[in-house]
Amino acid sequence: MPRAELLRSGWRGAVLVAVTYIDFLIFAQFAFLKRLDTLGLTGAHLKAVMGAMALGGILFSLLTPRFDLRPSTGIRLGLALSAAAALLALLPLSFAAGLLVALLIGAGLGILTVSLVTHLRQWTGARHPLLAVALGTGLGYFACNVPGFFAASAETQSLTAALLCIAALLIPLAPAAPALVPSSPCAAAPDPAGSASFPRVLIAFTALVWLDSAAFFIIQNTPLLKSGTWAGSTHLWLNGCIHLAAALGAVWILRRRGLTAVLATAFFALAAACLLLLHPQNAGLASLFYPAGVSLYSVALVAYPSILTPAGSARERGLRAGWLYAIAGWIGSALGIGMGQNLGHVPALFVLAAGVAIFAPQILHLARSRTRELAIVGTLALAALCVRFGVRTRKTSQPLTAIERGRQVYISEGCIHCHSQYVRPNSPDVLMWGPVEPVAEVRREQPPLIGNRRQGPDLAEVGARRSPLWLKAHLYDPRGVSGASIMPSYAFLFRDRRGNDLVAYLASLRSADQTAHLREEAAWRPAAGAMAHASAARGAQLYARYCATCHSADGATYLRWGSSFSHPPQEFTRGAYGSLDPAASPAQLTLKIARIAKFGIPGTDMPGHEYLPDTQIGSIALWLSQQIAQPNPQPSIARLTQEKNQ
Amino acid sequence: MNSHRLDERLNPESSARPAAAAAWHALFWLAAANGAGILLAVLLLFPALNAGLGEWTYGRWMMVHMNLELYGWTALPMLGFLFRIYGADRGPLSAWCRPLLWAWSAALAIGTFSWLGGHSTGKLFLDWSGYARIFFCAALLALWLFLAIALYAHREVRSSVAAWAGKIGGLLVLLSVPFVIYAASASGGYPAVNPSTGGPTGASQLESSLAIVLILLMLPFGLAPRKKGRTKLLAASWAALLAEAVLCAALGRGDVSHHRPSQYLSLASLLVWIPLVPAYYSTFAWNSNTRLWRNAMLGWWAALVITGWIFFLPGVLDHFKFTDGLVGHSFVAMAGFTSSLIILVMVQLLGEGGWIFNRARAFYLWQGGVIAYILLMTIAGWREGFDPAFTIVPGALRNTLYALRLLTGVLMFLASLDWLNDCTALLRRAERKTVEHELLVGAR
Repeated sequence: MPRAELLRSGWRGAVLVAVTYIDFLIFAQFAFLKRLDTLGLTGAHLKAVMGAMALGGILFSLLTPRFDLRPSTGIRLGLALSAAAALLALLPLSFAAGLLVALLIGAGLGILTVSLVTHLRQWTGARHPLLAVALGTGLGYFACNVPGFFAASAETQSLTAALLCIAALLIPLAPAAPALVPSSPCAAAPDPAGSASFPRVLIAFTALVWLDSAAFFIIQNTPLLKSGTWAGSTHLWLNGCIHLAAALGAVWILRRRGLTAVLATAFFALAAACLLLLHPQNAGLASLFYPAGVSLYSVALVAYPSILTPAGSARERGLRAGWLYAIAGWIGSALGIGMGQNLGHVPALFVLAAGVAIFAPQILHLARSRTRELAIVGTLALAALCVRFGVRTRKTSQPLTAIERGRQVYISEGCIHCHSQYVRPNSPDVLMWGPVEPVAEVRREQPPLIGNRRQGPDLAEVGARRSPLWLKAHLYDPRGVSGASIMPSYAFLFRDRRGNDLVAYLASLRSADQTAHLREEAAWRPAAGAMAHASAARGAQLYARYCATCHSADGATYLRWGSSFSHPPQEFTRGAYGSLDPAASPAQLTLKIARIAKFGIPGTDMPGHEYLPDTQIGSIALWLSQQIAQPNPQPSIARLTQEKNQ
Repeated sequence: MNSHRLDERLNPESSARPAAAAAWHALFWLAAANGAGILLAVLLLFPALNAGLGEWTYGRWMMVHMNLELYGWTALPMLGFLFRIYGADRGPLSAWCRPLLWAWSAALAIGTFSWLGGHSTGKLFLDWSGYARIFFCAALLALWLFLAIALYAHREVRSSVAAWAGKIGGLLVLLSVPFVIYAASASGGYPAVNPSTGGPTGASQLESSLAIVLILLMLPFGLAPRKKGRTKLLAASWAALLAEAVLCAALGRGDVSHHRPSQYLSLASLLVWIPLVPAYYSTFAWNSNTRLWRNAMLGWWAALVITGWIFFLPGVLDHFKFTDGLVGHSFVAMAGFTSSLIILVMVQLLGEGGWIFNRARAFYLWQGGVIAYILLMTIAGWREGFDPAFTIVPGALRNTLYALRLLTGVLMFLASLDWLNDCTALLRRAERKTVEHELLVGAR
């Protein structure tokens, strides 16, 4: 490619944006903080050092446009200061030296960012300037999330940032052509900055940076959240890909819907992340929204002052950029970190307030053009609130029992959509889930929870078939207890009393008289044809899937709940047979094991596997009876799993 | 000239605007409900993803999916229908149609957060609880009040005594709806139970089916003019409905098994509606652009009546109860018949604007998706009827069927997005016309 064409391609703009983001993200936000921690600069000292960085950033963001530096001089000065700061951070800094280096970091970034966006159009090419910005932003974030780089030591990260800044100094910064320095907004977007005035945009960016910084600080300083968002290479690669995709998506939105739509989308993503982070178990989901929101607004944060906003001169553009980065960038960031430090979470009300700030023009427009709609909805909302309040105060509050509360949990979680509570008389249900409960009994429940679909077993008599311990273990980790269960984990219910209430309710689901049903179970035997098709090899696989979790010292359920079992599960493969009589005939032994595998042992934690076909029950029994006849000296779940996989 | 008469003369589509707005709200909730449906289908294939949803796990999303389909997709077009019947979509009152639609949608939004927050009654399709329950009933009352005002405002319009009686009677029935829903959402009260299955009895199936027949027979009166002659056919249809109502009343409301011949034979009486409904609908002069959806509705009606009866027969119901087979059958009712019926209503209400539902692409995406879904679920239910472990312990066949089901869900979701997109364009065009029309009226 000829040199002139190469210069026009916009790669320089993309690289400069990427290097600036990498320096800011991995060095200023990460490595420098880690270095300070290593050097023992914490507490008030840390706050002072970070304050110095913010001061440098604000001061030089505002001063840079007033220096009237040549474009290349501003960029190179910023890069040189940033590189120097990153290298100085490798030294054993005292508190005073730390202050100076922090000031230098802020100054370097202030000069670099403002100079860059003021003149960025010179280096982004004329055809796809927004794409260059998005690529630079996306690749910058992507690089920071590459696991090797992300998890590297502070020294390596600082050194890499310094080297990247030094390498960027070598980029030729002469304009590709004078025509490529327009003062008007980019023609790619029909209404690029929308009708938004600068103060509105400033407020919106400040709110977004605030949310971002608060969420970032909270995740970074909460081990539980950090492990759910930034731990593991898969997660980091995913984050990097989301960043890149969202950055490119920002261009798509900018071109079609303009700046307002990008800011709105970024807000929704960040708001979702902040709200999800209120509950640590949602960290996984939050980790999808957070990078998307950050990249969306980060592209706009570069594109708005450099490309989208109209400006009469470079100085005017620079001044706007200076105010934007000083207020939204540095002050917004400081406020967000402060919120994270002091509250440890982003309050839902603050998210709402941020939304109102961002969408104020739209809300005002809506209020003006949809007065009737808002009046009706508002009136109904208020009326409903009054009625609700009246209903609540009239109700006498009788404390509910654990079983009653558990029933409400059952209803709240929508268990009815996967579990029926109805044993159909004269059907295979009776043996599997019985005994049958008369309709009059079912009707006594308010409301009856019969259900209409079985994605899982019927629960009408689950209290007779499963012990409270089994129910609890299963609610915690369904797949750990029952092989291929498709049930979600309800471990979150056990953070408060809901989990134990639900267990109490489920354990209460049983008829008082089980005698006849137990007699039926005791008389059960696998169909003759089923036993003919049973296979010990298949039985070994099934044992690994359904039984070894408890009946093996390294089984997941055994490891977690071993000490809670009323009777510790026997390790049959080691020659502990419990109630089984090794002296019984093979046929008797197999039948006895089959009955236990099918229906469990009443009064213990041993569950049945009522839903399994006779062939599978027979296979388990066959294999286990052979094991009892000839115990294997070294059985383990690992070996069983290996057999299963074979 | 009266100002709203002038309005209608200058802007013939003015009364279609509330209908288009109702269609938009309905389609918005259809897309939302279908999106939730896709999430559910994904969760059944990859249950580990539940961990990423925090407390908003499968069971809570099921409430959202089912209630939005019923109270959003299928109910909102009926608001457009009621606006038309009571003349609320014409004249100055029409400006209040959209606020009422907002109120309904606000109730659904509140309901969605309520269900996801774990507020439920444990009653399928009557999941209104706490604040959401009060708000929804308040919105229903506001709607009723609006319709009553509209009827009063049009008191001078010449109309037959039968039409007036019908409207007043309808209004009285509608007044009971908020209170019935409020009461039915309470924990007490439960319909008759078939002791053999735990499901509805034949009598209650007949009762609810006759309610649908009643709606089917009443709808055309508010939508399309009658063709001349053929009065006997209309009379015969109403007589058949009356006879079946008597039969239904005679069956009583006890907890009776479907094994009793009186139950499945009485349900067979519904088969008479397979020829009667098409004949009845042919006595009305429908817009020509409703043909596609009218035929689809009539086809699904026949399929629903036949499969409804077959699935209730002793042996068949015993095999399919609690399985995907009945999920497939409920799809015949909701996604096949009801959806086609309400789209027919919307096309008729929208007049020329009905083109939004007549694109071949979305029609075949929807119908193809629904048919494939039903077939897949019937196969899954058939297998599950023999072996409950088919679902409880997922294997390759179950997963393949569920993956295909996910695909059919995506097809239906795409169709709903296509309709929503076209409806948005239609509404924007209508709003532009309104602005132009207001300028024109102002100039005069």
